[in-house]
Amino acid sequence: MQHLDHERLVFLALGESDADHGETGHLDTCAQCRDELAGLRHVAGLGADTQGLADLPDPPEHLWRNIVAEIEAAGSLPSLTEARRSPESLDGTIDPTGTAGSNGLTGTAGITGTAGTVGTTRPGTAGADEPTGGGIGLGTRPGTHPSASPLRAPGSARRSRRSRRRPAWATTALTSVAAAAIAIAGTVAVLDGSRPTPQPTSRQDVVASAPLAAFGTTPRDANGDARILTDGRLHLHVANLPAVPGYYQVWLINPKNMEMFPVGVLHNRSDDALLPLPPNVDLQAYSVVDVSAEQYDNKPAHSGDSLLRGTLTG
Amino acid sequence: MTAVRQEPDPPPTDDDLAQRFRAGDETALREAYDRYGRAVLHLATSTLVNRSDAEDVTQATFVAAWLGRDTFDPDKGSLIGWLLGIGRRKVIDRIRASARETRVVETVRQLPEPVSTGPDPDAVVDRLVVADELARLPEDQRRMLELAFYDDLTHQQISAVTGVPLGTVKSHIRRGMASLKRRWEVDGAAPGPRAAGLSGAR
Repeated sequence: MQHLDHERLVFLALGESDADHGETGHLDTCAQCRDELAGLRHVAGLGADTQGLADLPDPPEHLWRNIVAEIEAAGSLPSLTEARRSPESLDGTIDPTGTAGSNGLTGTAGITGTAGTVGTTRPGTAGADEPTGGGIGLGTRPGTHPSASPLRAPGSARRSRRSRRRPAWATTALTSVAAAAIAIAGTVAVLDGSRPTPQPTSRQDVVASAPLAAFGTTPRDANGDARILTDGRLHLHVANLPAVPGYYQVWLINPKNMEMFPVGVLHNRSDDALLPLPPNVDLQAYSVVDVSAEQYDNKPAHSGDSLLRGTLTG
Repeated sequence: MTAVRQEPDPPPTDDDLAQRFRAGDETALREAYDRYGRAVLHLATSTLVNRSDAEDVTQATFVAAWLGRDTFDPDKGSLIGWLLGIGRRKVIDRIRASARETRVVETVRQLPEPVSTGPDPDAVVDRLVVADELARLPEDQRRMLELAFYDDLTHQQISAVTGVPLGTVKSHIRRGMASLKRRWEVDGAAPGPRAAGLSGAR
């Protein structure tokens, strides 16, 4: 028996008419035509449900920034400035590394929201302290805000999941420095993102330092140095870190209770970074500098896989 | 998806973008996001209760896609199909995770009521894939299928509305339907060919 004409099957699938007796008989016995008709019917149903999908709303502005920051943290996107066709790439002042730094910091600022719920700082205050422009870009298409800068959008950054999912211990550890984190949230913009291998500003005095040594099963040739500068930044130099599938994160740890907080990420196996610290961080308590291997697993907590550690003395 | 419609007609082909994406061209990441970010976010927002979960999944999808771009095989499907496949896995993971959390909470509260489930992620992916293909069809085919799908017009009525001869209407609709079905078979969420390509990017 001859198969049903494809145009006829489409006709039936769209409900233009019912199958006549002969067609029903064929469909009963021919799996090929039956499957084709079932597939066409399903697609017709999907097609009817596509209305409105051509006019979906744009993702919020901060989503792209978060994507960029996370990818840059992996050291996987060396020149995204070129790729970013949104306005911040046009003014020439924004650098991928700076964006990453901003993200890490705004993540810290986001903690203040959590801390606020336990009675220290109101998250709204953080936004109010920021330069105008907080929260720009939500729901707008990239390219429509010539003045928009990723470093000046604390409102949207506070909404990021990165900050929201900070574990309870981090909240505890950070409550004391929450206010400080707010204070520097705006200054991250000046983090030396424009320099691939930032060096401490000349003659910056070192207030404390720590040689970093391989920790646990890390190969012995991995090493580094951490220096706290008078301007409140942590200058970190690492060398020969083992290759990891994710990225490296820098932590300050209180060895007495193992409370800790993240202070930044490293991109390369051998790297230099200048990481801003909360101005009133208690380095007597948070005296251990730790570099961990982290995966892109959406888990903001320390992976438990420490590569380097050292204790600050000064 | 919207991007497709908003770009100059006809929509740009995916081929070049897919190749550049796979090759690690950073501009391709931004283009892919401009073109398909809405679709991925829609998949997440329509299947997850929590808006920030949805944004998180969208972010994770593009990050995973970029870091796992080596595993993307343009011969096995479109870029949007691949992205939606990654997004679908992440949505399902998130739904499972919150179901676990809910169970814990319910155990504590002793509230046995099950969580209401949102739309099936597979169905959302299928719709997005079909919508994308619809937007890529030649103008005549698309217009007539939209009249059939959205306005529920018969071929005869479409012919009357558009002034296009009935035979031509039928032919456009048949070819358009064949394209949609082919695309759905390649890029849809039904278990099958694309599963292999996904593992690497998760």
